[in-house]
Amino acid sequence: MTLTRRALCAGTMLAAAFAVSVGVASADTTLTVWDWKSGDPTTQPYFDAVKKDFEAAHPGVTVKYVMQPHDQYYTLLGTAISAGQGPDVVLLHGGSQTKERTGALVKLDDNIADIKGRIAGWPEFTGADGDAYAVPISIQGFAVYYNKDLWQKAGLDPNKTPKNWADLEAVCAALKKAGTTCFALGNKEGFGADFFLSAVAANGWTAAQQEAWTKGDLKWSSPEVKAIVDAWVATKGAGWYAEGANSTAKFMDEYESFERGENANTIGLISDVAHWMEFDDFLGADKVGVYVMPPVAGGDGSLKLPLAGGIGYGVTNFSPNKDLAIALAKSFADTPHMQVFFESAGAIPADTKVDTSKVESPSAKQILAWLADGVPLAHNNMSTAETEEWHRQSQLLFTGETTVDKALARMDEVQAQAKKK
Amino acid sequence: MTERQPSAARRRFLGDNPERLGWLFVVPALALVIIFRIVPLIWGFGTSFTDYNGMVAPRFIGLANYASLTHDPVFMDSIVNMLILLATLPIWIGLPLVLAILIHQGVPGGKLFRAVYFFPAVLSSVIVGAIFNMLLRYDGSFNAMLKGIGLSPVDWLGNSSTALFSLIAVQLWATFGMSLLIFLAGLSTVPSDMLEAAKLDGAKLMATWWYIVIPSIRPIIEFAAVVTTIGMLTSMFGLIYVLTAGGPGTSTTLPEFLIWLEQGRMNRPGYASAISMVLFAMMAGLAFIQIRIMSRNASL
Repeated sequence: MTLTRRALCAGTMLAAAFAVSVGVASADTTLTVWDWKSGDPTTQPYFDAVKKDFEAAHPGVTVKYVMQPHDQYYTLLGTAISAGQGPDVVLLHGGSQTKERTGALVKLDDNIADIKGRIAGWPEFTGADGDAYAVPISIQGFAVYYNKDLWQKAGLDPNKTPKNWADLEAVCAALKKAGTTCFALGNKEGFGADFFLSAVAANGWTAAQQEAWTKGDLKWSSPEVKAIVDAWVATKGAGWYAEGANSTAKFMDEYESFERGENANTIGLISDVAHWMEFDDFLGADKVGVYVMPPVAGGDGSLKLPLAGGIGYGVTNFSPNKDLAIALAKSFADTPHMQVFFESAGAIPADTKVDTSKVESPSAKQILAWLADGVPLAHNNMSTAETEEWHRQSQLLFTGETTVDKALARMDEVQAQAKKK
Repeated sequence: MTERQPSAARRRFLGDNPERLGWLFVVPALALVIIFRIVPLIWGFGTSFTDYNGMVAPRFIGLANYASLTHDPVFMDSIVNMLILLATLPIWIGLPLVLAILIHQGVPGGKLFRAVYFFPAVLSSVIVGAIFNMLLRYDGSFNAMLKGIGLSPVDWLGNSSTALFSLIAVQLWATFGMSLLIFLAGLSTVPSDMLEAAKLDGAKLMATWWYIVIPSIRPIIEFAAVVTTIGMLTSMFGLIYVLTAGGPGTSTTLPEFLIWLEQGRMNRPGYASAISMVLFAMMAGLAFIQIRIMSRNASL
């Protein structure tokens, strides 16, 4: 008899639990937000402010943040999209990560007229049909940060940043002579190669070439791209990087080695990670400098920061509460919230109305001054298939298992296949 | 002493048929296998004939996914890596077997060794990966040791010629304790009178191993070989993910890692299903051959 009783007990408990969960769901609406940031202490005040204000303005609605691991984010999101259930609102990177998922997102155009002028960075979140699919919250860009102390020790003037490729070569040669590694580099996942490509292409390619790149018309084997891939190999040969780049993770092993003062330069971000605020904390604000990577060839001599809409919030088309979810996505870009995001995490916000006048870091001031006039981020406009293959080829170029020509031929193949779709 | 009788209610439900009771015990396991193994397998088989991208409704494209597999260099590399991995099977069986025989024959501290060897088997692969990431990275402890004794450091995980073997060595370290335990259990069934008789007849140690110990535990060895093969092909993911992310190039990309990459990051569940089906067919083939060998021996 005990068996029957146990089974009955278990059944009752299960039924009760089910009843409770159903009860809660019907009395309340929960908006589930997926991201890879909400657990980070530096961004916590921003996420808390959005949740608090949104719940206060919409009684009965609960905002639930689900933080996913960054490097598995799109795999998990892909699974959720396949299943047609999970998050209502999702954080996305601008560029191909958003553009390849527009099929699973809600078109926002009718709902964003009121914020369109205030927010920057829309093109990275706009689909092939010209409609916006996510609300940008940050601006992403690649700047080269450098350690002024190490420059000085190598006999370089820390206030004289490289204006062209020859200048940069001279900087690295001087640092090498002084026994300092020129650039921190982590390419275990291939991200180091992405950053290099975008940073070097930024001021070397014309606007028309950047556009052709996005469409897949500018081939990898074309001279403009080949020059960069050649430089990738040549800089390794010239000893710009420490050994072991292929087994060093960019996030965060590379940046940690820069913060420890083991190397003099690093291609960093302007969002909320691997950025001026983090480096200022470790090295001291007056010891950190910033410059724009000069192109290896081409360009008109001007150096503009490669910029793009960084990350943004989209609404899934399987969300049962689309209107509320859209309101929440927009709430992430409210000026007061963006102000908190900037002040707590140091992320350059997509909202142009955020007051940045109080910032004291010399590097941050410099970056803010560059924002008005940027150039595109090349790797943002590559298809995922190209990006994955570039990761692989960049590693093989370092181990010497492939040649630049062979790597480019393979990249041409992948590009043609991916952009054909 | 009175025998306990089943209650009236239970007898009504089960009748007097013990077979029905047997089914009752089997049903939960069977249901789990059907729901979580068989149904997804059939589903995946269906998906592999479509261009499903996880967003819009799948379109039937026949064998196109399988056709593109044949000229996908990444897939081909992953198969080559898999074959290299399979070629190391004798080490995966031989090492724990030798150690198990030694422990069984009573080397001093045998119990301690048994515990120590088994210990890594309880660690998750991500933890094992994190430990060896620190040891094997270019500025890691292992290279520091090499430098200490005057050898030049090697980028174990960042070099195509060493990355896969480093990965195999780490996985072997992490899992051979399980095979060791299986062998120890098998060795306890070797009749001790036969061993003693051999000893009295003056058989040498190696001869005893070769003619008595190994033949008596042959079914156990074959069982371990099947289990290890399946483990090698399906549970390296965590290590690859943490240690090398499939690189450099494709040198540590195994089919299971590629399936994950294609499914999630590249948004191609249809293509990923096709790779899964190929991997499934290969494993089913291998398991079939191994089971055939096992049953042939069982009837000896």
